[in-house]
Amino acid sequence: MLILKIAFRNIFRQKRRSVLTALTMAGGFTLAAISIGWSDGSYNFIIDMFTRNRLGHIQIHKNGYRDRPSLYKTIPNYRQVGEKIAGVKGVEGWTPRLFAAALASVGEKTSGVQITGIDPVHENQCTRFDKKIVQGKPFQFNPNKDVIMGKGLAKILRARIGDEVVIVTQGADGSIANDIYRLVGIVETGDKMLDRTVLYMHLRDAQDLLVLPDQVHEIAVIVHHLKQVPELAKQITKVLNNPELEVAPWQVFAHSFYQAMKADQEGMWIMLFVILLVVAVGVLNTVLMSVLERQREYGLLKAIGTQPNQIVLLVLNEVNFLALGSILVGALLGTAVNYLLSHQGITLPQAFTYGGMEFKTMYTEVNARSLYLPAITILLSAWIVSFFPALKAARTDPAKAMRIH
Amino acid sequence: MKNSEIVIKTENVTKIYSDNGIPVHALRGVDLTIHKGEFTAIVGPSGSGKTTLLNIISGLDMPTEGRVWLNNKLISEMSGKELSDFRRDHIGFIFQAYNLIPVLTVEENVEYIMLLQGVPKEERHKRVVEILKEVGLEGFEHRFPTQLSGGQQQRVAIARAMVANPSLILADEPTANLDSQTGSALLDKMRELNERTGMTFVFSTHDQMIMERAKRLVVLKDGHIEKDLWKE
Repeated sequence: MLILKIAFRNIFRQKRRSVLTALTMAGGFTLAAISIGWSDGSYNFIIDMFTRNRLGHIQIHKNGYRDRPSLYKTIPNYRQVGEKIAGVKGVEGWTPRLFAAALASVGEKTSGVQITGIDPVHENQCTRFDKKIVQGKPFQFNPNKDVIMGKGLAKILRARIGDEVVIVTQGADGSIANDIYRLVGIVETGDKMLDRTVLYMHLRDAQDLLVLPDQVHEIAVIVHHLKQVPELAKQITKVLNNPELEVAPWQVFAHSFYQAMKADQEGMWIMLFVILLVVAVGVLNTVLMSVLERQREYGLLKAIGTQPNQIVLLVLNEVNFLALGSILVGALLGTAVNYLLSHQGITLPQAFTYGGMEFKTMYTEVNARSLYLPAITILLSAWIVSFFPALKAARTDPAKAMRIH
Repeated sequence: MKNSEIVIKTENVTKIYSDNGIPVHALRGVDLTIHKGEFTAIVGPSGSGKTTLLNIISGLDMPTEGRVWLNNKLISEMSGKELSDFRRDHIGFIFQAYNLIPVLTVEENVEYIMLLQGVPKEERHKRVVEILKEVGLEGFEHRFPTQLSGGQQQRVAIARAMVANPSLILADEPTANLDSQTGSALLDKMRELNERTGMTFVFSTHDQMIMERAKRLVVLKDGHIEKDLWKE
């Protein structure tokens, strides 16, 4: 106990030096906490935008559809499947989709399009589709041969709200399917590439056109918490218990995107290593100075019976107290800044595009990682650099140290 | 006195230092026996080997040749930990420069060794109160060394050296930093404690006051015992 007391009180012997060291550690902690909060916040924000906006957190397809999409690989009785999914705890919503390639013409302009048949109620609930309509109006509850197209596609086809859109495609029965629809809305999904090809229609209109009654190609699932996705994907697989269906979390169906995000996050370790170095240099300087100054005291402590391991503990505890104090201050500062930025966000001077989506405001995140990773970094660097001065202190020759010779 | 229990015994103790590659003979075959209850001063001019002998007696330094027994234990056969524990339990130190732990209060400085020994809290407190009363430092328990005069600091050092009831107290020039009045009072106190408790005191000094009070004078010159005088 007295060893702890000596260690604690030693901090106040060279106040200026201790304050500077503590500032280095607290500054390093705050910086690391904000960086991790920023990294995690951006990462989760981008993923959430990418998945929640369009793809969904989990997708269900007929086996083989993801590798080789085909008009014929459909999920029959999709409502029953959807209801089972909705019963899984943690699932926020599900939405059915039907896809097909087609040719769309408006007046004399024609372009290849991707028909996406959606259920307006489910889609609005899951991906807030109605909020993305920048011109015109959303679909009505019942099918009405209305279509909504991406902004880029509308530009290519020079289409305006109210225009007739002629669609030609192939039906599942082998027939040439064609019909006339009315453009009721223009949508901006956030994915510019998609907006140049996508043409949304009511799910039942799409099923009629493609001759796929009560069938869909995809069920996208949205969950409450992003972190639960892998676990919920397993639960859904279990609940569906259908070997013909394939349940994939976003990490699987958007594998390239997932890998890119992971690679981006690796940068955080480099930043932590740099902070570790900065803190290590600051602490090393302080501990070495202290140990050299107090050789006589260590000599005395050894002379009167203090064991070398107790001297090591004395030096390490002094650093521990400084580090813990700094961690506390850094945690308060880092959390405060992260909390503020998680609400207000940081508006970037120039928007950037990731995975076809545009991002202008990014948000930090307050999480446990942004506290325990910097804390481990600070403690680890402090311990590593203090250990050798502590050993030196423990090896003090009492007779020499007290200049008895 | 000579018939009582032997506390220290040295046999042909030699210490050779290397000073920039040149061997320096600090001690040359010292044979010394100190019995329980002695109040002995090792005296001699600077460089005669007083402090080196004190260091070797306490196990802080090892002889180049010869053997040393402390309480009938051969120190060369003790491991570092055993020696450290032995010093903690059997030797009290008083230094010229007091050498108190500056961040601990008077009470904590005195308590420190007992804490290393694992003495229970209540017993520690009782002994601290008693010893501080003994050395006249009642009411100073919560002061830090910097808040004390030199004489008071040396009293704390004496209290610290004695509190664990060691069999031997080694004092290296304990009065060198004190004025004569304070030094004299402290020596009287140590002598009184020696008489009353039977604790063994060994001084290294060239202070006349200590020589006057010592029961035995061991005169060192050029690393060997020139005279060994018993005053009683």
